[in-house]
Amino acid sequence: MATILLEIATPDKGEVYAKEINMLICRSVCGELGILPKHARLMTELLPHAMRIKEGGGETQLFVSGGFMEVTPEKITILADAAEAPDDIDVERARAAYKRAEERLAKKDSDIDIDRAEAALARAKARLLVKGVPIG
Amino acid sequence: MANLQHIRRRIKSVKNIQKITNAMDMIARSRFNAAREALLSNVPYVAKTKEIMRRVMGQMRGQEYEHPFIKTRDELIADQQEGAGKFLFIVIASDKGLAGSFSSNVFKEAHDTIEYDGTSESSSLDSDDDDENFHKKNFDALKGIKPAGKRTPKQQRQMSATGGFARASGRRSGGGKSSGGTTSEAREYNDADYIEGVELITVGRKATTHFKQRGYNIIKSYHGISERPQYKYAKEITDLIMERFESGEIIDVTLIYNQFKSAISCAPDNVTLLPIVTDDYAKASANLKEEYIYEPDVVSILNDFLPRRIATRIYGAMLHSAASELSSRMNAMSNATDNAQELVGRLNLFYNKVRQAGITNEINEIVGGANALE
Repeated sequence: MATILLEIATPDKGEVYAKEINMLICRSVCGELGILPKHARLMTELLPHAMRIKEGGGETQLFVSGGFMEVTPEKITILADAAEAPDDIDVERARAAYKRAEERLAKKDSDIDIDRAEAALARAKARLLVKGVPIG
Repeated sequence: MANLQHIRRRIKSVKNIQKITNAMDMIARSRFNAAREALLSNVPYVAKTKEIMRRVMGQMRGQEYEHPFIKTRDELIADQQEGAGKFLFIVIASDKGLAGSFSSNVFKEAHDTIEYDGTSESSSLDSDDDDENFHKKNFDALKGIKPAGKRTPKQQRQMSATGGFARASGRRSGGGKSSGGTTSEAREYNDADYIEGVELITVGRKATTHFKQRGYNIIKSYHGISERPQYKYAKEITDLIMERFESGEIIDVTLIYNQFKSAISCAPDNVTLLPIVTDDYAKASANLKEEYIYEPDVVSILNDFLPRRIATRIYGAMLHSAASELSSRMNAMSNATDNAQELVGRLNLFYNKVRQAGITNEINEIVGGANALE
């Protein structure tokens, strides 16, 4: 089966993933994308979500907190702010972040950065979803 | 004859200094490990960003995408003709001294870059990092440009740009301007005239004091973060420079920092952050024929990618600088400790000699006295 190299790098952990995979299913700002080997060149922005990586018959999940994806026929490069395997996700922290972001958004103060709070909310939500933790 | 007490005191003070330098060495050593760790985990990310940048920009070449940060050299020249903005330099140095030539190396590079006047050889032309450093090329391109109307800061800069480090530091506060063109007369220029076209963002207290003393216009400075940089500061700087760049206040942003090579060596490096000049990506585009698909579209991708790229670069530079600073301090302090050790050895020898001379003297006196009694 044809494979494509997937590389994921984050600013503070370096290269967190580098493996030949069969297929990557991820969510970009424009919707779900399935990337197979020999994909056309593509640049897009990713949303915070859990990507599905298919390799050698199995499927693994990997959380990315948004970032960039560049696809070339041989290689997928993802520049993520953070990338975690489901096992590494800190549920308590995500829950706390979720609450904090929600409170901040609920206040509707003019001095808060709405974009940032919304992004934090989305990140926390995606993290919790990966773990299957009920939200709210 | 040297006083025994004096020597003893001297030995003691050298030993005290040795204790301090030794402690600083150890502190730097432990922090250095953390800094190197942080740097090493950041390097792949920066490299990948750069790779993507190179591929995308290579493809941009020759195509008409309207984006404020991406220009061809011709556009750059056209902008300058309209009477354009200032040059911005970001200088990353340390908060504290006692790190050998760490800070002065950066300052030297900074002055070399700031005062570059198109005369020195463009050694960076063939280097691998070609697409990261085109300040000099930008300068060369803009050199002959006469903006319509009043003298731009750029030109003022050029007039005195022949000045060197020494001249900059020896500037006269009230100096009258002479209108000569020769090098010797160029010294007469008031530095304020030449500084006008330059803005600085400094990281590290040392950098701030150094440039403030010389009258540079520092628009923002960051203190207390040089050893442990954080991404949010890089982001802040990025936002600031992008805003100023977009408004046309500045036309060129160059980053100057110490690049970490190994635990015993680092070298100053300068990187052009803005504008992104597509001409310089010629090499990369040569072997790239396929077009990218951009989702949703080029402009929004670039709007997001470029700030990220710049912030990443600044953050990377901060990490490089932190690791370099600590390794420099480590080296400086372990050298100082060794020197102190040697000095103590020599002083001890001297002390013993003097002591022995004293004893010999006394014996001579006693023997002499005894002989006289006979």
